[in-house]
Amino acid sequence: MTKIDENRATVVWLGLLALTLGSAWLGEGALPAGLTAAVVAVIVGLKGMLVIRHYMGLAEPGSRLRMAMRLYFVVVPALILVSAAQGA
Amino acid sequence: MDLAASAVPVEAPTVPGNRGIWVGILCELSEFALMFLAWAWFRHVHPDDFHAGPAMLNAGAGIANTVVMLTSGYLAVRAVLAIRRGDGIAARNWLIATLCGGLAFLLIKAFEFRWNIEHGVVGTGNSFVAMYYYLTFNHLVHVVWGCLGLIWAILRAQFGAYSAADHEGLEAAVLYWHATDLAWIVIFPLLYVLH
Repeated sequence: MTKIDENRATVVWLGLLALTLGSAWLGEGALPAGLTAAVVAVIVGLKGMLVIRHYMGLAEPGSRLRMAMRLYFVVVPALILVSAAQGA
Repeated sequence: MDLAASAVPVEAPTVPGNRGIWVGILCELSEFALMFLAWAWFRHVHPDDFHAGPAMLNAGAGIANTVVMLTSGYLAVRAVLAIRRGDGIAARNWLIATLCGGLAFLLIKAFEFRWNIEHGVVGTGNSFVAMYYYLTFNHLVHVVWGCLGLIWAILRAQFGAYSAADHEGLEAAVLYWHATDLAWIVIFPLLYVLH
């Protein structure tokens, strides 16, 4: 069980690093601003959900705490999208 | 017949760490949420500052710090897994590695601020730069708090205070560290990526 948990944590860490490098590539201006904002919003949401679930261990279904934390990583990406739409 | 008395007791949902640390984490994230709103507002009011802003910064330092924070978070997870299997020495060592990540973050930040000053990135007359300093300094304070929490947990682990059955304090220090990581996950793209 512990070995499985360790392997899962390693895979999540590598995934988080890959998402970070993807964000860095977007910072080079590789995509139009609107599309960059959309991809960044998705990446921020994904990274947040991964940390909440696998690093913080908030996995219990129906937990209000988990719901509040996950909501944060829905609202903040939405803020990024709204901000990008206003700047377009 | 008292139905309530005969009902099977419902087990309260388990919370990682303890309730106290979650109050701290939710306060920290609320504070950052207000700053993210301020970022959106100033970006709306001064779009030119924010359009040109990320190119003024040292993107390499931002990426390095993101990698360091995420890696440090991973090392903290390993500390929790180690104590859950009752290996206090391994847990202490993973916590020391986590703390090294935190110190590396602070060193990179010091290098970045010095680079900023050399390149004229100072917080006067530019909304983006001012926002950058408010967000990063505030985050820095939380990293320092997190490091102090980790040092406390390392000392407690050193003296055998944690076991597989009782390691609430260690988990709380690690959770706070992850919350600081969460804030940086948002800060990084707002400052270094979004033009």
